[in-house]
Amino acid sequence: MARYASRVYRLAYGITRSAPDAEEVVQDVFLQIVNKGAGFEGRAALGSWIYRITTNVSLNKRRGKRRELETSLDELLPTFLPDGHRAGDRSFVVADWSSTPDRELLSGESRRLLEAAIDRLPEHYRAVLVLRDVEELSNEEVAQIVGDTVAAVKTRLHRARMALREQLTRHLGGGA
Amino acid sequence: MTCRDAIEILADYVDGVMPAELAAELERHLAGCEPCRAYLATYRKTRELGAAAARIEMPAEMQARLRRFLTDRLRRA
Repeated sequence: MARYASRVYRLAYGITRSAPDAEEVVQDVFLQIVNKGAGFEGRAALGSWIYRITTNVSLNKRRGKRRELETSLDELLPTFLPDGHRAGDRSFVVADWSSTPDRELLSGESRRLLEAAIDRLPEHYRAVLVLRDVEELSNEEVAQIVGDTVAAVKTRLHRARMALREQLTRHLGGGA
Repeated sequence: MTCRDAIEILADYVDGVMPAELAAELERHLAGCEPCRAYLATYRKTRELGAAAARIEMPAEMQARLRRFLTDRLRRA
């Protein structure tokens, strides 16, 4: 159980962004595992099935909740001039805060901002973000789990990262 | 390659799934474009931070509740 419990919880929390909701998802998923019994051909099939069922249960739990936190991603994506160059102040488009130590970025105001930025992502984007960047599954595996095309998974992942990057840069890189 | 083109394909580059020829073209653009170099560095860092923030463990008390919940359900089954 321990092998999968944290993975299920991580994905459930990543999608629902609520510890109580994630706990309910974990209970639901493990009940389904118990009911399914030994009907799996192998560990790989079980792992993939657990991710799939966790994603579905988490997304169902999210239905109709906290939509107000989710903003349009369009305003958080880079904008371009007609010639294809980045639009915006020079100081903003060259802002590079990547050498800031992790301990600084993952604590205090920066951590709060990062968590709030993740909250604002649509849940389908958060699902892809966790499966790719935390669980380190391939685009193809994630596409199977979320029931979408590889192209759609890649687009969501890229837009999610860009939206997070934009919000961090507005905070760390010298203003919008 | 414009900045728009470069940023559009950044995910494949960062994830290491970009064909070598396209990666070389992107790197030529990056060599001469400070905004895109900054974008790439902060994009890569954002990926690391997002993963680090989401890499949480299930709290021990929650694991204990899950065990009790499943044991109870199995007993009743």
